[in-house]
Amino acid sequence: MKIIATIRKESLLLIRDPGGMALIFLMPLGLVIVMALIQDAPFRDYQETKLEVVFVDNDKDSLGKKIQNVFLQSPNIEFVQESDSNKARSVVRSGKYKAAIIIPAGASESLRKKNKQLIARIFANLGYPGASNDSTELPTANILVLFDPAIKINYKQALASAVEKVIANVESEWIVDQLQNQLRGNNSSKEKMKVDFSGVINVQQQYASKHTNENMVLNSVQHNVPAWTMFAMFFILFPLAGNFIKEREEGSMLRLRLISGSQFPVMAGKFLFYFGICLLQFMLMILVGIFIMPLLNLPQLGLGNNIIGILLTACSVAMAATGYGLLIAVFFRTPQQALSFGSISVVILAALGGVWVPVYVMPEMLQGISRFSPLNWGLESFNNLFLRDASTLTILPDVLKLIVFAMITLSISIFIHKSRTIS
Amino acid sequence: MNEPIVRIQSITKQYKGSSQPAINDLSLQILPGSVFGLLGPNGAGKSTLVMMLCGLMRPDTGSIHLLGMDTKEKGAAIRKRIGVAPQEIALFPTLTAMENLVYFGKMYGLDIHTINKRIADHLEIFGLADKSHKRVHTFSGGMKRRLNLIAALLHDPGLLILDEPTAGVDTQSRNILLDFLISLKEKNISIIYSSHLLEEAEKICTHIAIIDEGRLVTEGVPAALIEKHADCPSLESLFLKLTGKHIRD
Repeated sequence: MKIIATIRKESLLLIRDPGGMALIFLMPLGLVIVMALIQDAPFRDYQETKLEVVFVDNDKDSLGKKIQNVFLQSPNIEFVQESDSNKARSVVRSGKYKAAIIIPAGASESLRKKNKQLIARIFANLGYPGASNDSTELPTANILVLFDPAIKINYKQALASAVEKVIANVESEWIVDQLQNQLRGNNSSKEKMKVDFSGVINVQQQYASKHTNENMVLNSVQHNVPAWTMFAMFFILFPLAGNFIKEREEGSMLRLRLISGSQFPVMAGKFLFYFGICLLQFMLMILVGIFIMPLLNLPQLGLGNNIIGILLTACSVAMAATGYGLLIAVFFRTPQQALSFGSISVVILAALGGVWVPVYVMPEMLQGISRFSPLNWGLESFNNLFLRDASTLTILPDVLKLIVFAMITLSISIFIHKSRTIS
Repeated sequence: MNEPIVRIQSITKQYKGSSQPAINDLSLQILPGSVFGLLGPNGAGKSTLVMMLCGLMRPDTGSIHLLGMDTKEKGAAIRKRIGVAPQEIALFPTLTAMENLVYFGKMYGLDIHTINKRIADHLEIFGLADKSHKRVHTFSGGMKRRLNLIAALLHDPGLLILDEPTAGVDTQSRNILLDFLISLKEKNISIIYSSHLLEEAEKICTHIAIIDEGRLVTEGVPAALIEKHADCPSLESLFLKLTGKHIRD
């Protein structure tokens, strides 16, 4: 009854505190939407590489066409045709385009000649009559790939290896073609066979987790909704610590100390109330992710299929956030101390936990430190559930860490509060 | 002879970082049914003594027995049987008078019917019945003081401890408060009344103790003390004689 009375009292205090209500519900709403919008472009940049490449085909033969055809089918490359090599170099140098591919004149012919010479020499070496063993050094065709110095290293590597792969394929096809020419000799009545290399070795791409939604990737919404929701949940310390210290300063806390034999109902009531508020925040943010984000041309938040795991994680994050808020509230004696330390510490824990930028883009040392942030435990758990469709057993270690963190902060809070009740 | 309701034996309390003890070897006894005035200038140690009587602060040395129980060991049990109106307005400003009192009543462990009845009775007595649904931050200083006292009375305590209950209130509110305290005296409820307002003390207290710099300066029945000091026609002149005229902060 005392706990319920405290919960009711806390709810009345919060309802009548417009600043606190805004901080609890509007601040995270704004944060999630703004951060998702801001980070949408960088996430797309990272996930959906769409590179505009200037293409200069001075060859005007099979090789140039082949390269062009292959890249035209790529969803990540967009070719911009250009006829002047110097102009292509100039636009890349100016940074207007990130890369250019220049196929020199006679590249196809040069490749053909080299292949023909190579096959002829192989046959001559095997003792085939009439095969030429000409080892004259033929000129090499240099296909030029130009890069803007500001291009991301992964784009550079991807484009260069894609060009090399196309050339290797063309080379293979032409070697087989030349091989057929050589073997056919003067018997031109035999049709040459069209060889398809695509089925020789198949590289199969799939996600490691069994039930993963194939379209689900770590996009701006998938990252920002759980990340900033947790940030907001940890910011519960603002109204929690603010009200707690205000009660201490105004004297109502003294009245409670004078009334109650045990301070447990007071602390438990506060804890349960703010725990509930954290869960409300979480549900609100999830609804924003599902219904509001698509209205802003952002991807819809995907939750995966493990609803129990999501509830478990949300509850454990709410417990950890409330426990931390309570600790800040009882430890510091003035609102200034509590709110300054509290907000800065949450910002640091959030940054280390991967709320601002995903942990995998952090330096190795920070990645190690991030494992100690409760926000990282929560975020990892949400990522496992939302993106990897993880089982409850998979997220259990992170959930347990959050619960242990909550228990420790809560125990210390009760100890400090009790020790200050009687001096 | 009646057993004392409060027995203070040689208590001393010194705050960390302070060069002087707040309470210095103080002994007192308070008999049941008395209105005991705890008087002293600012910084005399009255509030510290009140906190120790409630069991929220422990003396460094000596002992306090309240209602036959040691405050060091039975603080929680003592607090259930005493009502305390602290010097601070110990209320939630954004809650209404009713919401404050209902919450405190529940924290005392009372059932809702008892709470409602006692609230209605006390709001009527203290002239706040028509303000019960107004938020406390809209109240005047006098209204807050009256409500502060009601919150200490909800559980029907046998001993009431009041720390400066009339500080900063207007004459009308003071009058209501003092009349109520006199009515309690008639019901034989013990009151410890800490104040620096001597006129009030003279009006309602059956016994007084004057303390200064943590020490007991004098104690007894007000009239008898005045009579004992022939050159002091009033409690105020006696107080100034015993505690000095220099300003205290």
